[in-house]
Amino acid sequence: MDSVTIDTTKIKPAKKKPETALEKLNDTGLINTLLAAREREGMILFSTVDQFINWGRFSSLWPVTSGLACCAIEMMAVTMAHHDLARFGMEAFRASPRQADLMFVAGTVTKRMAPRVKQLYEMMAEPKWVISIGSCANTGGPYIESYSVLKGVDNIIPVDVYVPGCPPRPEAWLYGIIQLREKIKSQGYGAKWGLNK
Amino acid sequence: METDELLLNMGPVHPATHGVLRFKLRMDGEIIRDCEIVMGYLHRGTEKLGEMKTYLQFIPYTDRLDYLSAMPNNYAYVKAVEELADIEVPLRAEYIRVLTLELNRIINHLVFMGSLILDLGANTAIMWGFREREKALQLYEMLCGARMTFSYMRIGGVREDLPEGFIPKLNDFIKDMEKRIVDYEQLINGNEIFLLRMKNIGVINADEAINYGMTGPSLRGSGVNYDIRKLEPYSIYPDIDFKACVRKECDSYARYLVRMDEMKESLHILRQVADTMPAGDIITTQKYGIAPMTGAPSAVMTYFPRIFTPPVGEVYTRTEAPKGELGFYVVSDGTTKPYRVKIRSPSFCNLVALPKMIVGLKIPDLIAAFGTIDIVLGDVDR
Amino acid sequence: MNAAEELKQAMPAAVVSTGMLIDKPLAIIKKEEILKAAGKVKEMGFDNLSVITGIDYRDRFEVIYNFFSYKKKENLVLKVVLDHEAPSVDSVASIWKVADWLERETYDLVGIKFTGHPNLVRILLPDGWNGHPLRKDYDMETEQFVTMGEDGEDIVSTDGSNLLRRR
Repeated sequence: MDSVTIDTTKIKPAKKKPETALEKLNDTGLINTLLAAREREGMILFSTVDQFINWGRFSSLWPVTSGLACCAIEMMAVTMAHHDLARFGMEAFRASPRQADLMFVAGTVTKRMAPRVKQLYEMMAEPKWVISIGSCANTGGPYIESYSVLKGVDNIIPVDVYVPGCPPRPEAWLYGIIQLREKIKSQGYGAKWGLNK
Repeated sequence: METDELLLNMGPVHPATHGVLRFKLRMDGEIIRDCEIVMGYLHRGTEKLGEMKTYLQFIPYTDRLDYLSAMPNNYAYVKAVEELADIEVPLRAEYIRVLTLELNRIINHLVFMGSLILDLGANTAIMWGFREREKALQLYEMLCGARMTFSYMRIGGVREDLPEGFIPKLNDFIKDMEKRIVDYEQLINGNEIFLLRMKNIGVINADEAINYGMTGPSLRGSGVNYDIRKLEPYSIYPDIDFKACVRKECDSYARYLVRMDEMKESLHILRQVADTMPAGDIITTQKYGIAPMTGAPSAVMTYFPRIFTPPVGEVYTRTEAPKGELGFYVVSDGTTKPYRVKIRSPSFCNLVALPKMIVGLKIPDLIAAFGTIDIVLGDVDR
Repeated sequence: MNAAEELKQAMPAAVVSTGMLIDKPLAIIKKEEILKAAGKVKEMGFDNLSVITGIDYRDRFEVIYNFFSYKKKENLVLKVVLDHEAPSVDSVASIWKVADWLERETYDLVGIKFTGHPNLVRILLPDGWNGHPLRKDYDMETEQFVTMGEDGEDIVSTDGSNLLRRR
């Protein structure tokens, strides 16, 4: 086998993880906005619209309260004091899909529940995201051989993030949520047209 | 005044239905005239899967029936198979089992308390309940690594021995929990709004409750002095000092109080079990088990064969799960898979009585009465 | 004398045989006599009907009733054997209210008709579902899908194109 030489100069350095408050703010992309505003004595805001909108979107995701099965109990655990979902600005679980922009499909989607889940998703206003939680929602999981279980919720609605586990630990939930935030950061018109980066 | 009747749909996606249950309510203004319960939105075909899996493979599915109290589900199934195959369980395994069962009863009732009060519109209790639940779950994580779906019971014993430092941690938990229960009672029991919402709501007397098939704490709240742990003692319950918690008021408040008392009784049982934990094997070595290898610690090396065939026969066993009578009807035809597994789930049978309780009341009372029956939809639909 | 033998003494015509189900007294009842036998069982103090189980044995069906008495602290198991072609048995829902749902469930999953039941419709699966899953000859290959009608009712079909995103 040929040895492969790697040109280390071409590898982009890994992005430094933001640690201080200032770095975190910088990571959101808003710092440029603020600095620009200060330089112009608060007269002009200068940022990409995407960064600003995405910052607003990922900082306060509002999930819809729709627990389906076992994973819903872990959803409650994530929300409660120990794991504290409020750190991510998403403790406001909405009972109405009209007010929500994130859906956790937490649990087994049965054949009978599938049209209701789909309807719930369709009732949510754009923009909306879906996190599929647990093996059952991802693929059917342990119930894949069953006659009454849908084999993966992505058969009926688009899914942004899959979190494996049966049920996933709260840490895995939080990781899934962070992944979704990363995804939202890269969304927008600029990203679509290749202008942002 | 003449009023028209209104058909109101509630669920299947509704924050107060504890999952995916649907009520079809016939309303006369604010008054519920008739209530039809529509279920099956979480019907996963567990009983059919039981026929397709081997005896050991079915244990994880029992976890997911009543996912708040997985350990009693595990135990009820394993007990049925053990009775079918006439397997004797070592004493230490029985002690560990009772320890996990009672710990799970506490977890179940903590979530019950939290979600009931949340449904009534207050947030503090669920925060407190889940705080203590986390602590109990840490004990389970030490034991078997899982938080909710344990699959810890095995036919003939348990999967793993108690880890080092488990009993001291358990004692800490018991000590802490005793103080917390006092806190809960101070927070909730005397609250005037809570009392108004709970007292004389969802009344069902003892005879009716039995006829409607209610079991567990919900039945004990109607004044029936019964507890399967007492009536048909299994495992090591005959050697343990505890009492069945009974209330005579027959209303939602009584059902709530029964569960709070049960938490205290469970702590009492836990303390006794922790103090008198015997040494020995954790899984059976007789009959179907493999004898321990020489020179190896027996607890590690003995195991139950993965494929095993119980003799032809059928058995029905009942256990006292946190929600009521949990029974498994297992039929064996002498192969490696059960011929039929029937699950008698407490939530399903307790729910039968709900329309009886709430006709003539208002919708907020439905939520209160429904909360005190304490159902889990995985257990209702299976 | 256990409860099953007591029942046999009281109604010798109805009881085919008695025995034990591990530790519980078992009486096999003639299919036509179940309602009468159930009434007698209730009189004997068995106030709790724990569970109704239907089993498909390929050549016959069995329906098993587990009773418990809170007064006498005793168990009793009744068993009825039905033919495989058109399994039907009298409903006991008039005696125990819980039998209402338990029989509906047995009808839904095993396909045993309970004559005289006030509302014998499917309970766990939607109306219109094809087949009874806990029968041994249930077709596991054909996938059935549920869609929602205008009023929120379930419509079962084997065609999931309305529901699924991709085929």
